Amino acid sequence: MTAIPHAMCLFQRVSFTVLLILFFGLITGSFAQEKYPNRPITIIAPFPPGGVADLTARPVAAALEKVLKNPVVVVNKTGAAGAVGMSFVANSKPDGYNLLMALSSISIIPEADKLFDRKPAYTMDQLVPIALISADPTIFVVSADRPWKSARELVDDAKKRPGQISFSSSGVYGTLHMAMEMLSHAGAISLKHVPYSGAGPALTAILGGHVDTLASGPAVVIPHIKAGKLRPLAGWGAKRIQSLPDVATFKELGYDIEFYIWAGLFAPRGTPEPVIKSVRESVRQAVNTPEFKTAMEKLETPIAYLDAPEFQKFWDNDAKMLAAAIKRVGKLEIPEAK
Amino acid sequence: MSETLQNLYLGFSVALTPSVLLYAFVGCVIGTLVGVLPGVGPLAGISLLLPVSFGLDATSAIVLLAGIYYGAMYGGSTTSILMRIPGEAASVMTCIDGYAMTRKGRAGPALAIAAAGSYIAGTFSVVALMLLAPPLASFALRFGPPEYFSLLLLGLLALAYMSGASMLKSLAMAALGLLFGMIGIDPMTGFSRFSYGLVELGDGIGVVPVAVGLFGLSEILLTAGQPAAPEVTKPRLSELLPSREEWRASLWPIGRGTVLGFLIGIIPGSAHIIASFVSYAVERRVSKHPERFGQGAIEGVAGPESANNAATSGAFVPMLALGVPSGPIPAVMIAAMMVHGVSPGPLLISQQPELFWGFIASMYVGNVVLLILNLPLVGVFVNLLRVPYPFLYPGILMFCILGVYAVNGSVVDVGIMTAMGALGYGLRKFDFETAPVVLGLVLAPMMEMSFRQSLSMSSGSYSIFITRPIALVLLMVGLALLLSSIVSFVRKNEDWRQRLGFARRAREKSQLPID
Repeated sequence: MTAIPHAMCLFQRVSFTVLLILFFGLITGSFAQEKYPNRPITIIAPFPPGGVADLTARPVAAALEKVLKNPVVVVNKTGAAGAVGMSFVANSKPDGYNLLMALSSISIIPEADKLFDRKPAYTMDQLVPIALISADPTIFVVSADRPWKSARELVDDAKKRPGQISFSSSGVYGTLHMAMEMLSHAGAISLKHVPYSGAGPALTAILGGHVDTLASGPAVVIPHIKAGKLRPLAGWGAKRIQSLPDVATFKELGYDIEFYIWAGLFAPRGTPEPVIKSVRESVRQAVNTPEFKTAMEKLETPIAYLDAPEFQKFWDNDAKMLAAAIKRVGKLEIPEAK
Repeated sequence: MSETLQNLYLGFSVALTPSVLLYAFVGCVIGTLVGVLPGVGPLAGISLLLPVSFGLDATSAIVLLAGIYYGAMYGGSTTSILMRIPGEAASVMTCIDGYAMTRKGRAGPALAIAAAGSYIAGTFSVVALMLLAPPLASFALRFGPPEYFSLLLLGLLALAYMSGASMLKSLAMAALGLLFGMIGIDPMTGFSRFSYGLVELGDGIGVVPVAVGLFGLSEILLTAGQPAAPEVTKPRLSELLPSREEWRASLWPIGRGTVLGFLIGIIPGSAHIIASFVSYAVERRVSKHPERFGQGAIEGVAGPESANNAATSGAFVPMLALGVPSGPIPAVMIAAMMVHGVSPGPLLISQQPELFWGFIASMYVGNVVLLILNLPLVGVFVNLLRVPYPFLYPGILMFCILGVYAVNGSVVDVGIMTAMGALGYGLRKFDFETAPVVLGLVLAPMMEMSFRQSLSMSSGSYSIFITRPIALVLLMVGLALLLSSIVSFVRKNEDWRQRLGFARRAREKSQLPID
């Protein structure tokens, strides 16, 4: 046998196999439309492992897996403060196999893009909410060696010396920056902003005494409050935090502000209604499992489950507040050197 | 002291329980693999394994993740020495002299010294971690943006000493690196710079694709461009271990690397990458024969490799003593603790003694495991060099692409690596060193951030850099460094750089091509 016919033969065999694969692919493809789910579901966490999105997504995935009896995997697709992962899901095929675990910042990025006349990485109407999983009110802490004993004292002091009291944040236009912007607006004060690259470095800065104040998720700062390094002055929640019952909310103090670092599940718009329904129902069951509750307890993150319609309302309201805050901040200018 | 010993006893009783020991071993093995694969560094390895650790108890999880972290530091040197491809970013400096040693048939000793240096640095810095964690951690916290900026500036000035042939050329390369570091979202205003609409460029250019491209790809391209396959002296089995002379030459570099690495590692935000750069610069500076650097000086392997391992332990100081993440890797480990309901913070050591001391003890154990694991592997890895180039290089190329892709799952990163490979090829054809580009890229975002944060803190007044004592001291040291190099530059003294020039010219005359 010469080489050429042999190669032809091989070619035929290969193309037959390819056809076979295509054929089976079609069959399973048509099944996919009938029954959801029949292959692994991916939850994209747009932040690195260990962040809030990741730590919330994993117990959700584990609990969902049991309810759906189908593998659910968490994939970290990180970059550009979450924009890379969020736009990935927003532009993925709406078949219910790519879900997104997003944080409050999902409403910030498109607004910031608008501010800078950038081509938006995604728009919010490309995504539909499925369920709110957790909502942690940020709390306002000061370094323990600073004089202020209450939020009121601090605001009064800040009025006397505008732009002198400093705060660190996880980055410009980040969630922690927005929380402080709401406070500055409500208290009619101006504070000095020192942005860091992430919530961890922002915490380090206040512990080292390089800034005066910080807005932060409770889980991160509670150990330092217990150790006497930081003093909590107020919380952004509608209710007081369970583990800090003595700390008043801003609402109680007369500032009409509310802010949560929340985590919610989203799907790309256009996902078929039956699929969405199935996911919603499964998430509802999943968040009520004891395993999920213990996992979230360990993270010291309260479960704040809301189903799609209520979550949509919550999201709309939150997005409106954030959009207003971003507009108030506007484009940041670098102050002239003195 | 007796209390420490008692605690350590408690620690070892935890670390030597079979299950914890097993996870320390598994972590070390995975870490070594992660380090060996080009591109995939400790952060990627830990991130991938983090979900797996959720099923374990807190101590086992931390021991496993820490094993990956310092295992990667051991493994990272392997490909750097054998193929001039940094296994992870902290091994960039090891590429230079490690690979030159390989060319001379001294791959075995280079690998053995790297392993031994890592072991010594690892063990000593654990002792330091154990004894000094609380006081050092509170000192480290005093490093705010102004101190940090001064430190980075000092690092950049030390670069003048790292230059091989021409200071001008290496400063130009560092400037190029600093420029690359400008790409991405402006940290103070949120404005996109040089990202050309690519969302992926928002975070800037990653160090990994640049390091792999500039070092690894350019090497492959240069080799492919040669008329005949390069002569690599095949290592003889009898020459796997370092000679007595090489041991003696490595001793001080290992010691200095350990101290330097540990101190630099403690400072929050600082990295093992910088530690290895600084160590290389110091070794070259104190050496009696600096012209040997770049030509296979064992000190150039011993110093940086010890420094990056010591920095690993140093990074645990703020994490364990204060619950403060001193970099992305400790941040992931803090998250791992939180998942297990352990809240890292100033009270960790007193509230969770078995976790803290078990962790410390497991690091002693882990370093022994890694030494036992790595020394016999030297023989195995060296044999890779027997694979003929037509098979070896395409294989390496594939691993480079896979590794770089795996870190973020980003095709853009692969593109960056390719472009950097081409750039590195061009630069090396013109006799430029590529290490300063990597250093510049690492330093630029940190320097910019800390500089602008400092000015934010002072409302725009530059006096903040001289009114804070630590910052002032660092700046003075930097100034002294700069002045001393300017003086020798102006006076045209017969300094080592000129000797180097003579050596190079002599070599060119004797027609021995180096690249």
